[in-house]
Amino acid sequence: MRLTTKAGMAVSTVLAGAALAGAAAADTWKIGITQNNVGVDSYQTTYEKAFIAAAEANDNVETVVLDAGGDVARQIAQIEDLIQQEVDAMIIWPTNGEAVIPAVRKAFKAEIPVIITNSNIDEAGFDFISSFSGPDNITQGKRAAEIMCDRFKDLGIADEAQIVEITGQPGYTTAIERSTGFQDRLPEVCPDVDLMESQPGDWNREKAQKVMEAFLVKYDDIDGVYAGDDNMGVGALNAAKAANRAEDITFVGATNFAVGYEAMARGEYWGSIYQSPVDDAEAALQTAIDVLEGEDVPFLNYFDTPKITQENMDEYDKPVF
Amino acid sequence: MQAGTLANYLRRGAIWGFIVLELIFFSIAGEYLAITDKAFMDAGNMLLLLKQTAPLGIIAMGMTIVMVNGNIDLSVGATFALAAVILLDSLSWPFMEELGDWAIPLAWTFALAAGGVLGAINGLIVWKTGVDAFIVTLGAMLGYRGLVFMYNGEQPTSHLNWTLVDFAEAQFLGIHTATWFLLGVTAVIWWVMNRTVHGRNAYAIGDNREAAVNAGIRVGPHMMINFVIIGFLAALSAVVFYSESGSVNPNDGELYELWVITAVVLGGTKLTGGSGSIVATFGGVLAIQLLRKGLAHIGADTSTVNLVIGLILIAVLFLDKQLNIRAKEELKT
Repeated sequence: MRLTTKAGMAVSTVLAGAALAGAAAADTWKIGITQNNVGVDSYQTTYEKAFIAAAEANDNVETVVLDAGGDVARQIAQIEDLIQQEVDAMIIWPTNGEAVIPAVRKAFKAEIPVIITNSNIDEAGFDFISSFSGPDNITQGKRAAEIMCDRFKDLGIADEAQIVEITGQPGYTTAIERSTGFQDRLPEVCPDVDLMESQPGDWNREKAQKVMEAFLVKYDDIDGVYAGDDNMGVGALNAAKAANRAEDITFVGATNFAVGYEAMARGEYWGSIYQSPVDDAEAALQTAIDVLEGEDVPFLNYFDTPKITQENMDEYDKPVF
Repeated sequence: MQAGTLANYLRRGAIWGFIVLELIFFSIAGEYLAITDKAFMDAGNMLLLLKQTAPLGIIAMGMTIVMVNGNIDLSVGATFALAAVILLDSLSWPFMEELGDWAIPLAWTFALAAGGVLGAINGLIVWKTGVDAFIVTLGAMLGYRGLVFMYNGEQPTSHLNWTLVDFAEAQFLGIHTATWFLLGVTAVIWWVMNRTVHGRNAYAIGDNREAAVNAGIRVGPHMMINFVIIGFLAALSAVVFYSESGSVNPNDGELYELWVITAVVLGGTKLTGGSGSIVATFGGVLAIQLLRKGLAHIGADTSTVNLVIGLILIAVLFLDKQLNIRAKEELKT
């Protein structure tokens, strides 16, 4: 641990106050973060706010919060700058899971632990990072299967229900992992539910709507739809509503979006997985602190993404994105 | 007379004075605001600054020639991305993989040639149709970017080659590979602009195209050569940068044309052509990177950085205009 002699001069009044109150110079961790693109969506904007709030609440950390603005070159420059500034640890939300690997290797060579947040880097870079902090997409898929199955049991159709699946963009790890988790877990909890077909909706609402329209023509009896995220789930819902068949179908998604939350409040959409940017940000900071304090941190350090359904949605705030 | 010389000095030296101001400001502010104990003007940090200036700096040298000509090139960001895609994708072609590390110079050649060809297309259209370069390259910006997306959709194009990365990360005599390229390009373009007929013609054409035509300068081919140069340099910038990072997003290089033009204008080159200096452009890109780096050093966020750069650009243009008016009045008296 490095002593910060300038703690008293620090801009952050919180830190300055803490250092004075602590009489002796406080030991602080210097942690730098470079984010993907803060302004681009409200998930990332909320993430940044939550990260700064969490850092200010903790007297033992000083942070440099940077934003790459979606520009790989700028992110790489920021990583180099953080190495130059001799931070104790750095957190990276990659703009590109491969382009940052050489820069991450530089940090590794400079003996600065790197934590990847939200979306992981390519496997070629795993040797150079300390931990990945983010959502566990396989568990998200499994939980979606459980939500679906529990609902069928309540409706008394668990022994004959027929469902379809709309996945995310082919090739995306998130899409593959969620689908795998769902398809593995479903036969374990509801062995008699039949998954008739799975088609990609490319994370796109309109595409998902078209896929669902085709499903509705093809299959006379659909009891449930699992979508890789709520955006696609709502697309499927719209298709079913247009065909007057939405009432009979249980819709389950993932990454609860505001549109999904609203559809749940209207009673049209059954459930999803709640992924909070606040939890995401706090988990990243905590992972960095744990790594610095020498605690045993799992290489894939997931934060919890709970189930949300019409029954328990009151416990959760409406997502901002 | 003396006031005129002073104004001249002010105009020429303004960018360097500005850089010194930035250095002083960030050094002092850094003492209080930065998280690190290291000084802003630490040698390592200054070497990094030069290295990080390279991607925009290499393109800016080409942009200076084109702007001295009285033209502009908005397609450099797209050319940059397309050259990067060709560089990284070609390394994965089967016959290239059989060549081992010898594929590297070949991939560089492909990317650089592509940049030159894209520039030549711009130049040829400007020459043969007489359409304003602003419009031609605006079209090219959209078109070339479309090609990038056609190549690999929304997906990044990647090829991580550690030999390439090690070369790009190397520090010969303490100076990074990218910096060597930037310094080399600056020296060559300076020589072209100040010591060759081509350079003198560039100023002549930008100053008064009709007079240049009357003096027997072949304006069309001359402009085309300059577009080839800037296309080549945009590709060279991509080669230098992506050799180190190994993966290109399809939207990489977006807005680079605007950053480059900002740097060139900060360096005192006229949008109307006929006036501009390579050394001052070097100062311009340095000033922008210094601002980005310095503001990040003291913990300002990215939107603040953009706001400050925008304000400074306007201030510089205003100052430049005032000094010019005064210089002209000197001549009258």
